[in-house]
Amino acid sequence: MLRTIAGWALTVLGLLCALLGLSMAVVLGPDGRRTTGPHTVDVDSSVLVTAPRVITWGDVKVDVLVEVPAKKPVFIGLGNTVDVENLVANVQRTEVTKFETPWKPTLKAHDGEQPTVRGAPTALDWWIADSAGLGGASISTTLPDEPTSIAVVAIGASSLSGLKVTLAYGIAGGFFKGLGLAFVGAGLFLGGRILRRGESPLEEGDLRGNDEDDEEVVYVYVDDDGVEHVLTEDEIDDAQFEVIVEDEDEDEDEDEDEPEPEPEPRYVWIDDDGVEHEMTQAELDELGDDVEIVDDEQEGDRS
Amino acid sequence: MTRRLAVVVSAAALVVGLASGCAVPNRRAADGPILKAAATQAQVTDIYANYREVRNAAVELLDPKPLSTVETGAVLAVDTGAFAVSQKLRRAGQEDTGPIDVARVETPRFGKYPLWLFAVVRDSNRKVQQLQIFERTSAVDPWLLVATPEALTSTKIPGIRHDGSGHAMTVKPTSGTGMAMSAQEAADAYARVLTDASALTDAGVAEDAFIRQMREIAASNAALDGVTFAQTWAAEKVEHVLRTSDGGALAFITLLRKDEYVVPLDRKITWPAGSPQQALLEDGIQGTKGNLNYYHQIVVHIPGGTAKPRTIGQFGGVVQGEIGLDQAVDDDSLKPTPTPTRPTPTPTTK
Repeated sequence: MLRTIAGWALTVLGLLCALLGLSMAVVLGPDGRRTTGPHTVDVDSSVLVTAPRVITWGDVKVDVLVEVPAKKPVFIGLGNTVDVENLVANVQRTEVTKFETPWKPTLKAHDGEQPTVRGAPTALDWWIADSAGLGGASISTTLPDEPTSIAVVAIGASSLSGLKVTLAYGIAGGFFKGLGLAFVGAGLFLGGRILRRGESPLEEGDLRGNDEDDEEVVYVYVDDDGVEHVLTEDEIDDAQFEVIVEDEDEDEDEDEDEPEPEPEPRYVWIDDDGVEHEMTQAELDELGDDVEIVDDEQEGDRS
Repeated sequence: MTRRLAVVVSAAALVVGLASGCAVPNRRAADGPILKAAATQAQVTDIYANYREVRNAAVELLDPKPLSTVETGAVLAVDTGAFAVSQKLRRAGQEDTGPIDVARVETPRFGKYPLWLFAVVRDSNRKVQQLQIFERTSAVDPWLLVATPEALTSTKIPGIRHDGSGHAMTVKPTSGTGMAMSAQEAADAYARVLTDASALTDAGVAEDAFIRQMREIAASNAALDGVTFAQTWAAEKVEHVLRTSDGGALAFITLLRKDEYVVPLDRKITWPAGSPQQALLEDGIQGTKGNLNYYHQIVVHIPGGTAKPRTIGQFGGVVQGEIGLDQAVDDDSLKPTPTPTRPTPTPTTK
């Protein structure tokens, strides 16, 4: 009973895993990510930054492309929130205070004493990923397991007006991970099936490498004259023969019995009076060539 | 056959699934702490490589100006002084070209700037270990050396307690929980005891080697015939304190020492040739008042429990000399000059 319940549980779990994995593979596609954009973002300032705790995911692959018109120089970087917050403190900026996928940002303008960040963002060593370019810049990275923020900075005196953002997010190798999950589901499904049937997944025969499914059973009927007739299982049932199981291994064992050792030759010397004297091999060796050895059995054969 | 295939498929599926399931996306708690480890191991390596490069350039040029990009505070003041003395005496410094032996690095986590890290660097030539603090005051500022007390290589540095993420834990300088006193209280106690020896019984600090050494210097200065000598100490605000594994703290304390000499007209005090004091007060002091100001950085171990704080490392040097003035010692007015002291040369009277 318990085994049946466990079997069903495994089967259902396997089915769910398989469906989830297949869905994941289908949704993410072979490149393992979803892409959205380009989206126009209404920014007047020269800094756009995600607020603390807007990015809450870790181990998610993200690709962000920012584009500005007229080939203006622009920078994009992903850094620890502590670093980014310190960089943009007291800077006029637009903050992304909330974000919902696939693309629903909530923006808020922040006043600041400085029009832009101090120094060149490209010179800072703490960016986890960063890039700068004329008219556009992009980063492609996996979000680490620490609080992070993204900052987009217009380099020089320009602003970020006309900013367009393209976002792609997903799981690195997500397609294959989906397939892997589906594979796990299939395994659990099969495991559950085995459990439900009450069969042990590994029996003694399996461990020995003998598969009982592979064993060929031959039914043989020996008539009164000692002639063997091969019968099918149905013929056995119809005739209601008594089946005597004869283990093949036993026959093999008999055949494989060690041969009896050859008997040691027995030497007999017949003196002139016709009296037989038994001799050992050593005594015979002492006599050397003076004695002619005659094989009794061979002589018998000839006669 | 079918059953065996099913078992093999199930096992393979689990292995493949587990292997591909590594590093699955995860979501942090919305109200979780926002923290950053001060630096990664790679950044620490870069910090030391840059520090050495700049320092060697300064040594080669006999110019202390580049040091301001890698040092600050008392360390910069003392080092700048040493360079100024070297320039005056036309004595080239020693470039550091051996391997950087950073024996230990502790990087606490912070929720905001400034960030700082603690490192122990072994100097096998001098048989000392430097207990250094590098600090970054903002995201756009460089890492600067702010403290570098030295201890003998045989000195055992207390173990540092780590948080769940494996990073060193810090202690608020004003927190004395679980200890005889807070780090700031210890700093003030040292200043009090060094200024007035009779305060030792009430101050709650142990009479360690540093206190004894400073007292000996003060006693020899006070013994100058016909010269009135006074010494005062002040503690700066403590900023770098680590939690030790015994529940205590390792505090980096900077003390400012002011030696004041009042010399009558019929007396003159001078310092040995080549000493930083002599470089600062070339003509000595005669018939007037003269001051020498020093910075001393000490590392104090405040044990967990009720045991008294004790100095385990020190570093310092004279940073300013003035004659005929009676102005109060003020950090902003300190124009660094000479050299690491140890021992402080004793003046002589004629």
